[in-house]
Amino acid sequence: MTEGADKVAGEPAKLLEVTGLEVHFPIRRGVVIDRTVGHVRAVDGVDLSVGRGQTFGLVGESGCGKSTLGRAILRLEQPTAGRVVFDGQDVASLKAEPLRRLRRRMQMVFQDPLSSLNPRQSVESLLTEPLRVHGLSAEDLQTYGKDSARAHAAKAAAMLEVVGLPGSSMSRYPHEFSGGQRQRVGIARAIVLNPDLVIADEPVSALDVSVQAQVINLLEDLQKLLGLTYLVIAHDLAVVRHISDTVGVMYLGRLAEVASSDDLYERPLHPYTIALMSAIPIPDPEIEDARERILLPGDLPSPANPPSGCRFHTRCPFRQPTRCHDEEPELREIPDLAAGRQVACHWASEIASGAVGVAEPELLVEPTSS
Amino acid sequence: MSDQTIAAGERAVTRSRTRPEANRDENLLEVEDLSVSFVRRGAQPVRAVDGVSFVVRPGQIVGIVGESGSGKSVTSLAVMGLLPQRGVVASGQIRYRGQDLLTLGAKKLSDLRGREIAMVFQDPMSSLNPVIPIGTQVTEVLLRHFDVSRGEARAEAEHLLRRVGIPDPGRRLKEYPHQLSGGMRQRALIAIALACKPALLICDEPTTALDVTIQAQVLELLKELVNDLDTAMVMITHDLGVVAGLCDFVNVMYAGRVVESAPRHELFAHPRHRYTEGLLASMPRLDHPRTEPLRPIRGTPRDIVSWTKACAFAPRCDHADEACMSPDLELVLDGPGEHRMRCVHPAPLASDVADDD
Ligand SMILES: Nc1ncnc2c1ncn2[C@@H]1O[C@H](COP(=O)(O)OP(=O)(O)OP(=O)(O)O)[C@@H](O)[C@H]1O
Ligand SMILES: Nc1ncnc2c1ncn2[C@@H]1O[C@H](COP(=O)(O)OP(=O)(O)OP(=O)(O)O)[C@@H](O)[C@H]1O
Ligand code: SF4
Ligand SMILES: [Mg+2]
Ligand SMILES: [Mg+2]
Repeated sequence: MTEGADKVAGEPAKLLEVTGLEVHFPIRRGVVIDRTVGHVRAVDGVDLSVGRGQTFGLVGESGCGKSTLGRAILRLEQPTAGRVVFDGQDVASLKAEPLRRLRRRMQMVFQDPLSSLNPRQSVESLLTEPLRVHGLSAEDLQTYGKDSARAHAAKAAAMLEVVGLPGSSMSRYPHEFSGGQRQRVGIARAIVLNPDLVIADEPVSALDVSVQAQVINLLEDLQKLLGLTYLVIAHDLAVVRHISDTVGVMYLGRLAEVASSDDLYERPLHPYTIALMSAIPIPDPEIEDARERILLPGDLPSPANPPSGCRFHTRCPFRQPTRCHDEEPELREIPDLAAGRQVACHWASEIASGAVGVAEPELLVEPTSS
Repeated sequence: MSDQTIAAGERAVTRSRTRPEANRDENLLEVEDLSVSFVRRGAQPVRAVDGVSFVVRPGQIVGIVGESGSGKSVTSLAVMGLLPQRGVVASGQIRYRGQDLLTLGAKKLSDLRGREIAMVFQDPMSSLNPVIPIGTQVTEVLLRHFDVSRGEARAEAEHLLRRVGIPDPGRRLKEYPHQLSGGMRQRALIAIALACKPALLICDEPTTALDVTIQAQVLELLKELVNDLDTAMVMITHDLGVVAGLCDFVNVMYAGRVVESAPRHELFAHPRHRYTEGLLASMPRLDHPRTEPLRPIRGTPRDIVSWTKACAFAPRCDHADEACMSPDLELVLDGPGEHRMRCVHPAPLASDVADDD
């Protein structure tokens, strides 16, 4: 969102650094004796870093591990391997009390608002609960004096206003709201502690585009004001482009491409990103009726048994007879092709130059319009 | 999509189908003057839906877009007969094949639900049963409404999960909702809704958790259902790109009422109501510079006046004046086509736009 001021002085200060992160879920079989017959490799080796005050957008196939990655960063999920360093501290090494203190600085907006909000708590109770646990932030203590039920209620009311819900919502319960109203309660709850890092999992997917624009502007304002850092997970690629400084594209537990928002949308390099971009629905019926998309053929591979070589090769429209199926491409910078961005495809340069094209032309389709 | 068509998936399920022939010219669903209010002791009643009317024909996709909280989900819950038992007052008519669902008995309604009318709910987690494996939840629908064996139902369930793009469907059948990603849950719900090949399908934000390639695949599947089986579909979504590519006809809602309705080309080419205009202008656009600030409609949905006093959108509208302060503005026909709007000072028609159809 904002140009990172710390970018200027050489190496940028990273608030969040993730290296080699893996989260594998055991697959269990058997009724009497539980035996593990395999693992779902939900997150399977992810490196990423986010500079202070920056926004990292995470997009990717449904089920590729985005939410799990977000949860693992916050330790709501136990990583199988890898490191998460937040503001210089290795999160895994922290004992209960320092972890609790760190927690207040890292908050999450959950993907499914209804199941993440306790149905028996009123909105007021939902919004003041984090304050009862952690207390008001240093900034807020200046505004509200000291921690008290009254100060907490005042802060909660301010948050409610910020997300555009009427004061009468305070006494209502989650099921009494529309989907988008609930999503706003979730956002208010995440920012009530003035955290440093917010991991927002589909924070605006249930909002109409006007409220969405308000919430995005709000997130951007808060970022400018408080220097917030965001990791935003979203499927709406126009939203991601708008709010992100850097975008990571995930496929089956791994990053396929990382680039600045401008670069990525101007020139996607990885075949999966190219296919994604081709499928963005455009709010113009004339364009929608006429456009070409790249279809991804074949069954989605299972994260319990990812394909050999390039994980995308079973569905890649640009797949080549060599390397793709038996050699795993590394996420790397290709200086001759594009500096300052990373892509995990053996043929990125050839695809970009046009030397390698879509292997089967029938994968380029015009949608059948109804 | 691929060569697997809906027809190929009929298999076990078609045998016991007894459903009247679809007539594309007849309205399958007629919602007329529907109002729904929530009443709670000690609080002002909330009029969530306020005189909504629309029709859906077989083989047609009707979109509902609009403000968050404007009554879209409540409208669809009313059609499904799933409004809360208590504290709700509903009036008007919801005619399905001529019979009023609002007054239909609970038994008959629940027979229709699942067999002829299905819905994909907005909150996947809350409409899936957390303690029952996904597969059982799909086969349950099949066993309840069709004369099939367990084995057949299982095979069909696996087939359905594959069709909505869930990887490794055989294994997934045994999994519980919390073991699926957000988008897989959504697709599982879609599979359940499609299981009985409904005559009327209501989708409430069915693709919010799907990436755009899978979304395209799922929408293609829904289109096939509509085209091949003459299903009538109501599509509720905030994604105007989806509306542009999918819906034949679009209703725009604000504060419980339909403020504009038009065929999709018409609506996007000539939005007339000032709310629609503002909505289209608040979208982040890929063809605009990235750093350009978004332009939401000013004010918030909190700034509302009652329709019985004025245009509910007036407090947020740049064009509001005295004339907008009249009670119960009507939804009027605009031009010779099917374009309707409820606005005193509509956005001007650019007369030089030639791409009208
Ligand atoms: N059970 C309930 N009790 C009280 N009020 C309710 C209840 N359910 C919905 N409402 C209110 O009714 C109005 C309409 O809600 P509805 O869920 O239909 O909105 P929506 O148009 O689907 O919005 P969204 O796009 O955010 O999903 C909202 O103001 C909501 O707060
Ligand atoms: N608790 C769990 N137990 C077993 N498997 C799980 C669990 N949570 C997630 N998974 C699996 O991990 C994979 C990644 O899921 P995740 O929710 O992270 O995906 P996602 O990228 O957020 O998808 P979406 O965009 O659909 O929300 C999926 O295959 C999912 O089924
Ligand atoms: S490495 Fe091969 S299969 Fe993988 S994305 Fe590149 S071209 Fe496609
Ligand atoms: Mg997710
Ligand atoms: Mg809704």
